[in-house]
Amino acid sequence: MAHIDTEYQRLEASYSDSPPGEENLLMHVAEGAKSQWHHIENLDLFFQRVYNLHQKNGFTCMLMGEIFELIQLLFVVGFTVFLANCVDYDVLFANKFVNHTDSSKVTLPDAFLPTDVCSARIRHNGFVIFVLIISGVFWLHRFVKFIYNVCCYWEIRSFYINALKMTMSELPYATWQEVQARIVEIQKEHQICIHKKELTELDIYHRILRFKNYMVAMVNKSLLPVRFRLPVLGECVFYTRGLKYNFELIFFWGPGSLFENEWSLKPEYKRGGNRLELADRLASRILWIGIANLLLCPVILLWQILNAFFSYTEVIKREPGSLGARCWSLYGRCYLRHFNELDHELMSRLSKGYKAASKYMNCFLSPVLTVVAKNVAFFAGSLLAVLIALTIYDEDVLAVEHVLSSITLLGVCITVCRSFIPDKHMVFCPEQLLRVILAHIHYMPDHWQGNAHRYETRDQFSQLFQYKAVFILEELLSPVVTPIILIFCLRRKSLEIIDFFRNFTVEVIGVGDTCSFAQMDIRQHGHPAWMSEGKTEASIYQQAEDGKTELSLMHFAITNPHWQPPLETTHFISQLKERVHREATGASADTHPLSLSESEPRSLVANLLAGPPTLGSVHFGRESLTNHAAAGMSDGASALRSLSPVSSSLHLRGSLSAVHRASGLTSRAMAGSGTDARTVSSGSSAWEGQLTSLVLSEYASTEMSIHALYMHELHKQQSRADLSRHTWHRQESDESSDSIPDEVRSEPNTHSRNFPRSHTFPTTAPSPSAIPTSASATSGTSSGQERVKPQSSTGQRRHSGPTTDHFSAGGNVTRSARVPMGGWAEDGQAAPKHHEPLLEESSEDEMPPHIHKVI
Amino acid sequence: MNCRSEVLEVTVEARQVEEAMLALLHTILLHRSTGKFHYKKEGTYSIGTVGTQDIDCDFIDFTFVRVSSEELDRVIRKAVSEFKDALGNTGSDGMGQISLEFYQKKKSRWPFSDECIPWEMWSIKVNVVNLANEQERQICREKVGEKLGEKVINVVEVINRHEYLPKMPTQSEVDNVFDTSLKDVQPYLYKITYQITDSLGTSVSTTMRRLIKDTLAL
Repeated sequence: MAHIDTEYQRLEASYSDSPPGEENLLMHVAEGAKSQWHHIENLDLFFQRVYNLHQKNGFTCMLMGEIFELIQLLFVVGFTVFLANCVDYDVLFANKFVNHTDSSKVTLPDAFLPTDVCSARIRHNGFVIFVLIISGVFWLHRFVKFIYNVCCYWEIRSFYINALKMTMSELPYATWQEVQARIVEIQKEHQICIHKKELTELDIYHRILRFKNYMVAMVNKSLLPVRFRLPVLGECVFYTRGLKYNFELIFFWGPGSLFENEWSLKPEYKRGGNRLELADRLASRILWIGIANLLLCPVILLWQILNAFFSYTEVIKREPGSLGARCWSLYGRCYLRHFNELDHELMSRLSKGYKAASKYMNCFLSPVLTVVAKNVAFFAGSLLAVLIALTIYDEDVLAVEHVLSSITLLGVCITVCRSFIPDKHMVFCPEQLLRVILAHIHYMPDHWQGNAHRYETRDQFSQLFQYKAVFILEELLSPVVTPIILIFCLRRKSLEIIDFFRNFTVEVIGVGDTCSFAQMDIRQHGHPAWMSEGKTEASIYQQAEDGKTELSLMHFAITNPHWQPPLETTHFISQLKERVHREATGASADTHPLSLSESEPRSLVANLLAGPPTLGSVHFGRESLTNHAAAGMSDGASALRSLSPVSSSLHLRGSLSAVHRASGLTSRAMAGSGTDARTVSSGSSAWEGQLTSLVLSEYASTEMSIHALYMHELHKQQSRADLSRHTWHRQESDESSDSIPDEVRSEPNTHSRNFPRSHTFPTTAPSPSAIPTSASATSGTSSGQERVKPQSSTGQRRHSGPTTDHFSAGGNVTRSARVPMGGWAEDGQAAPKHHEPLLEESSEDEMPPHIHKVI
Repeated sequence: MNCRSEVLEVTVEARQVEEAMLALLHTILLHRSTGKFHYKKEGTYSIGTVGTQDIDCDFIDFTFVRVSSEELDRVIRKAVSEFKDALGNTGSDGMGQISLEFYQKKKSRWPFSDECIPWEMWSIKVNVVNLANEQERQICREKVGEKLGEKVINVVEVINRHEYLPKMPTQSEVDNVFDTSLKDVQPYLYKITYQITDSLGTSVSTTMRRLIKDTLAL
């Protein structure tokens, strides 16, 4: 605020320039409400709306979209009722003849029943009336909401126009970062938020993504019951929109939810004192909501079926292959999402990975199915060809009963079959593909690396990347399954949920209560195996799994270059950037302290870049390892040399185009590509002037990909060093892989078996009986550690009798057998220091440390 | 909420409640009031004068300064005595909270009523104690006086910070920022509410209102 409006100043002013003894000596100028945007009551909603309007490309687009949606709803219901009641199908199928005076042709209106018959049929059908009432209520609700939204968004529109000085027509072409920068700018003038003089990007993200961050964190800590072990299907994930809606209803906004309003958790949930009572209350609420779901189940089910029918039949008819296509599952989106990542950022990232991901999945087509599909396609194809040929010869063939339908069916059949026949020119190289996927999706469980060609990896990946048909099926099943999950699974977790919200909620001034993970504080939530070694003070319960904190931090820092993180965090970011940079420039890989890999004398970054030959496009031509390595080195080096923090993205652009070109050279003369890349990169810097923020943000994602790959690579090497920790922590899931001996035999990579399993990819949730009911958990951390411990302890108790035996069989032996001793000793310095005490402790007690604490 | 909130806590005897509350509320209002605005042409205005007045307390060793406006005093006294009665009705050792909320009105378009958006909230938590004998009362009398002095300094410190205040309005908008109903003084729009005991359950009406709003905002 440039001008200070306290009484004090006014007095001060009066001293200076008022001649005494006059009346009305002092005149003030009213500033008035120049803007109506100062001090907005509900900033959460406000920012969400600003974001939504931006994502929906402006007011008009949004308005039209919503109006059409309303019309569509009316149409769906009306058309269904019409089809069911007002059509005389006998006429359509020509079972009944219509007597026309003027012509013998049957017209469509002939098939319609007269209105009075029609309305009588509707009136006498209780079910139809029921459907109509339900959908009428639903539609009215939507309509009121629509009116309300229009009013709200009109205000946001004027905010864009008057305060942000952006017209609606330029909105679709402005990036969110631009909009955000303007919001940060006008805060200084209008003071949207009264707590702070200046808003940061993180504040805006926190407000928009407050609840999403909680959901991401809960999925990350496997708190939500979305993974199940079913008797026939094995392990599967069930997370639908309906279920998500219910979770949000229970936690965030429903009546009696944990949150008081958008921005603050109810105070009683912040205190640990009566957590058991609160958990009871939550459990009973979940029960009621589950029962309500059960009661409403027929209505929702009906709605889902209708909706699915009308939205997908047309698509299936047009493109039957689309059912065989895949999409990122809802769970996948939650699992892969960074903290503080907006929808459009996530979607663009996942879309970039889509191609590689579907290629990867196609690598695993079952050969038996392929043979069958080929033959079915052959026979169906020959029938179809004959029918079509006949039709071309004489149209009347179409008039023969069922010819048209058989042509359609055969066509569908062939398309389906074709999706099971792999592309002739495709080469099986899952490991590389998975690298490319990783470059975009940024997360994957540790045990996938080196196991990309295995069927389990594929199965687990398919949980993230499911068939569209499966997606639709799950959505249809959702109304039935949701109440069951709520009542039988979520209810048992109520204590854990209460603890989670208590332990992981922090109050930030000017933002309110947010998920503490979303602060991306390495010290509080860093994972030692993910480069925050020595910087983190988090207990296992507090650590985010899969390096989520670190990767989210990098992602946020890269997408928002103007953001100024706290000092420690800045240190971490610059250190990491520098490391990546140094890796790129450091020519001699052997001398580098980070190249821990025993067998490969290649630089770390070169190594990781060699996997995916380019980040932009996937190229499978290179088979020979030597060429591969050389190309990777030069490409990677040139790409990363330009990663200087100042103009990273600018140069990156040039070098990446070079990488493209270099990869096009396939396996010949790779030595030249390095110089090639450098020249191109220097040439492209002349374009700098033309680069807009859009270009910058595009290259930010590439930069992030490199960082993500680097961090995964480093993590891989680090986790080789401290296997012990992970094998204890995730013993249960490790054992599941041990139970398949033939895979291990077929696995050439010695480390693959030992890879620590990710926490978010463990087997099913721990049994609720393991939840300690001891009331010792008054402090956050102590109760926190309890949460994690039972998982491993119950797992072990279930599988084998004495925990000690199991430990020595599972953890110790494998490690000493598989990891070369030299490597272990060498990695000792790099390995976390506090693991050694853990080792000693365990050897004394013959028991993994955290199990020890439970007992 | 986009609103500063300050919490003051005091422990007093039942007979001191009224004076203690008056002292704190008046102290805050003293700093949140101006003289009447007299608008001239072109959006300029002059500010009338405001007198101040020292008030001595009967049951506490304490003197506070308030705006010398009988009208304002009457309004505050009414609210405080209501609070005191409500507190007295609950029993001897009651807990209560009185809040002074400064807000701004925002004109809305037709379907909605005017919004009152708070920008500062002062919550005074009162803990009423029972004292056994006269000596303890005497000590309490001094102690409460000291405590109130500290609180007043607290209040002044908070107010001295350069934080958000509504901008000075033009003539047409003055009702959206200031309470212009009083003749001699013009405080920022304020609202005094109270709550007896530490009951955390919000009232039915607010819950309903939120429910409706939530459904609409889906």
